[in-house]
Amino acid sequence: MKSYKLKIVTPEKTFFDGEAEQITIRTTEGDIGILANHIRYVCNIVAGPLRVKDASGEREAALSEGILKVSDKGVTVLVSTAEWADEIDLERAERAKQKAEDILSNKSRADEFERAEIKLKRALARISISEKYRL
Amino acid sequence: MATANIKDVKRRIKSVESTMLITKAMELVATSKLRGAKEKAVASQPYFSTLYETMCEIQQDRGFKSIYTKKEFLKTVLVVVLAGDRGLAGGFNHNVLKLAEEKIKSLEKDGRTVIVFPIGKKAVEYFEKRKYEIYNKEYQISDNLTMSKALRLSDSIISGFRKGIYDKVELVYTTFVSTLTQNAVSLTVLPIESKDLKDKEQADTDKSKKTALTLYEPSAEEVFDGLIPRYISGLLFCSITDSYAAEQAARRTAMESASDNANEMIESLSLLYNRARQAQITQELNEIVAGQMGNN
Repeated sequence: MKSYKLKIVTPEKTFFDGEAEQITIRTTEGDIGILANHIRYVCNIVAGPLRVKDASGEREAALSEGILKVSDKGVTVLVSTAEWADEIDLERAERAKQKAEDILSNKSRADEFERAEIKLKRALARISISEKYRL
Repeated sequence: MATANIKDVKRRIKSVESTMLITKAMELVATSKLRGAKEKAVASQPYFSTLYETMCEIQQDRGFKSIYTKKEFLKTVLVVVLAGDRGLAGGFNHNVLKLAEEKIKSLEKDGRTVIVFPIGKKAVEYFEKRKYEIYNKEYQISDNLTMSKALRLSDSIISGFRKGIYDKVELVYTTFVSTLTQNAVSLTVLPIESKDLKDKEQADTDKSKKTALTLYEPSAEEVFDGLIPRYISGLLFCSITDSYAAEQAARRTAMESASDNANEMIESLSLLYNRARQAQITQELNEIVAGQMGNN
């Protein structure tokens, strides 16, 4: 399969920089897959799973929200955080999920609603990927 | 007289010595923190340059409009001031606060209302004391700034902008030029100036035609608006890291010269001490000799 240049960058580090054949990523419009020679494309992505397929096989990671950019030079993913399945701290994610749910169920804290929702999504993405990896 | 003097000098030498220990330690701490801050700034570079690039490209899209780029009456300005949490950093805090104050004065002269958003303990104290209108004073940024903290900070700035509490955001901070030079600078955060973008557009019109072919989903505006919090938090993250590096560099230099001064002081005090001691010995000798002579 034809491969293309993929770069996944977070503010803390460059998470992935290399060749990939296909990625599957969650956008605000739903999951999309990107193959080589995709048209120029930009969209927002939400916290969710990322699947990277390259010559050696398939890997999964948990991403938080960011943007996806496909240009002639390759594919760039900008996200706040990114972790491979085996790097995820499951306990921390469970705690974050619990905390976010507490805030969401407490209606008096409306101003924190949006942030809690984002946090919950992140936590759920991490948990689902981590659990899959453990099986 | 002479004995009292000796004691005093000795005490002073001791106190200068212990001060020097502190300044030396602070110098070393600042050096290592400076290294960390520099690494952090370098690591975040690729993320923000790509982010900025994408934003420029979206703005080139034809018929593009966003509330973050419009320029209206500009009546109220939010001035975000970044300073340190602690003193003992030479002119670091003073310089940035002075620039901020000048900026505020000139804005007020133009008939604008100014709200201050101080970040860092020193800035909060300074503007509180001078009774400026303060937007939010709960940010006393420390050394371990994370991206999520920066994101929350930018959320708070953006929400005020969207509500129309202010229609312009200025940022005053210190930029790290080199270990010896740090400059206080100011820049406009919002509305996003499309000045340099326009120049680009005119320079290569065929290129902008090409970018127009990019597919934005759901729309260029929505992608752009989604980018804004990330862009501003990125900007804040960068400038806070920058300001932090500058603070450490300023502290390092200040502590280095303090240690040097302490050394010098110890030298001259030791000289004074030795002289006093010698004078005392001479006097004692004189007394003994005089006593002997009296006996004879």
